Amino acid sequence: MNTIIKTLIVLLAAVSMSFAQGFKVKATGEQTFNFEDKRNQVKFFSTTPLEDITGISNDVKGKVSFNVADIKSMKGSVTISVASIKTAIDLRDEHLRSENWLDAANYPEITFKIKKVGDVKVLEDSRVEAKVTGDFTVHGITKETVADVTLTYLDASDQTKQYAPGDLLGVQAKFNIALSDFEVENMIVGQKVADTIEISANLRGSNAK
Amino acid sequence: MNTKQKYVIIAALVLIVAALIWWLASGGEILSKDGIWVEKEMTELDKALGLEPQKEYQEKFILGLLPHTAVFSGAVVFISAILFFIFKSKKTKEKK
Repeated sequence: MNTIIKTLIVLLAAVSMSFAQGFKVKATGEQTFNFEDKRNQVKFFSTTPLEDITGISNDVKGKVSFNVADIKSMKGSVTISVASIKTAIDLRDEHLRSENWLDAANYPEITFKIKKVGDVKVLEDSRVEAKVTGDFTVHGITKETVADVTLTYLDASDQTKQYAPGDLLGVQAKFNIALSDFEVENMIVGQKVADTIEISANLRGSNAK
Repeated sequence: MNTKQKYVIIAALVLIVAALIWWLASGGEILSKDGIWVEKEMTELDKALGLEPQKEYQEKFILGLLPHTAVFSGAVVFISAILFFIFKSKKTKEKK
């Protein structure tokens, strides 16, 4: 009887392992990565009748935790401050932060909180693609959003030490939002901004404690 | 049209063309900018992490068509129109 139970447990573990998709790296188990570095950037892109607008924030904070062998176990969040977004025109930045737009005084942060991870594709042992569903909050309104994410895991090495101690995680994420979903009036300095904003994140995280 | 009026028109055209050349030489941007995003060279580590090039903000005035070039050209046209009218009036008085 014991042998049957043990065999079943081993089989179940083998089956669950075969469905788990993650990194094949030296690191194992649960890992937590912090994204607190000035080199991390989140970009906002919009098209206007006059010209394309690019806004960038370097004030990115956040952390994610996951089991290295199972990306679907990922949880965590990333936050940027509204005040840190620069569009290369100071007057436009002021409008962006104003009550009529993102209202930085009342809603100082934009957040993406991970809810679930799906459609995982292993590209390489250290690189996976996935669709990450999360709660995106801007202007005090939260909507579920799906981001296309590429994750790259680098075990600690002489090369990674140049950036930070510990293992490194590279995150490239892209998704679109509609301003109207977040009750943001899409008028800025007299010109209409496209309702759809492309958002992309370029993040480096370290699991050093 | 007297000689002074011709000079006013030529001077106005020269100033407007110079402003347009300056605008084109500045990159031909539609809107004036207070800074630019410069793409930094990617490190081998960033490439290994699968990241896109990082952008760095640099404060730098970029002359755009709006508002600076347009306002300057508008001001030149306005002042020229006034001078044109003044010189026309003087000529009329001289004839009388």
